[in-house]
Amino acid sequence: MSENARIDVRGPRFAASITAVLLLIATVLSLIGVATAHETSSPNGWLLPQVSVVARIVDPGFLLLLVIALLFVWGVASPRTAPWGVLFRRVVRPRLSPPTEFEDPRPPRFAQGVGLFVTAVGLVLHLAGVPWALPIAAAMAFVAAFLNAAFGLCLGCQLYLVLQRVGLIGRRGTASA
Amino acid sequence: MDLTLALVIAAALLAATTAVGLLLRRGQGRVRAVDSAASIDPRTLGTGPLGENATLLQFSTELCSRCPGVHRLLSAIADERTGVRHLDVDLTHRPDLAQRFRVLQTPTTLVLDRTGTIRTRIAGAPTRAVVETELDRLHEEAPHV
Repeated sequence: MSENARIDVRGPRFAASITAVLLLIATVLSLIGVATAHETSSPNGWLLPQVSVVARIVDPGFLLLLVIALLFVWGVASPRTAPWGVLFRRVVRPRLSPPTEFEDPRPPRFAQGVGLFVTAVGLVLHLAGVPWALPIAAAMAFVAAFLNAAFGLCLGCQLYLVLQRVGLIGRRGTASA
Repeated sequence: MDLTLALVIAAALLAATTAVGLLLRRGQGRVRAVDSAASIDPRTLGTGPLGENATLLQFSTELCSRCPGVHRLLSAIADERTGVRHLDVDLTHRPDLAQRFRVLQTPTTLVLDRTGTIRTRIAGAPTRAVVETELDRLHEEAPHV
């Protein structure tokens, strides 16, 4: 199966580094944007529920997180053509020493899916007018991306067994004997 | 929120994440002695027989990025020693086994003695030295015939 061909381990970590930087910028932008703004005349003290959906969308933090979420969609749907992977193969890898470690492409792909889930929840809640949803989602996704980029730890992959044990994912395959 | 406060929060987030990363990395490959009376029946694992002297029982999933590297390490160690076998169980479609052995992260490696009793549990990716120390200890404890 060519889809399961092994990939250079440095590729996903390179992509995670760029994603982590973008997510940190998105966190700052959403903190200074409409998601955390106060409004004294508002019944609950927050500005976000008072503004129109268009105003929630044009918030710079929302737009950047939306772009990151779309990149996650790309990474899940077609990991081979995702932009950071292509950039790594075309520009970065030719300048590095030949790869010594390879890995299965499924774990990083699954992690992209976890990143997509977290950012999508933040975007939807923000559109629904929930204050702080945007910076919190961006910060959570940043933690996962940074741990992957700097320490090689894959939180999304660690999460797999936990999700499986609570029965959210995975087949109940006990009938193998 | 003004930009200064937002940048302070971002810096705090970066520092906290770095601290978490250092802690998590230190926890990788940690060894824990297990006091268990029950021995493992290889038939329940769906694998081949256990090793004559010791077994390195690795739990992996398809989505575990560090498992293939640990698989190569443990296989190499098992090949170098007589009576030591390396078994790799894929938990992706066996939540029952993950439940039974309380596996919360992969790779998790159990070191079994000659009777199939769990003696040591290693969470995360172990180093070669850690695994060899455990096997040496089991070898010394074993009755020499």
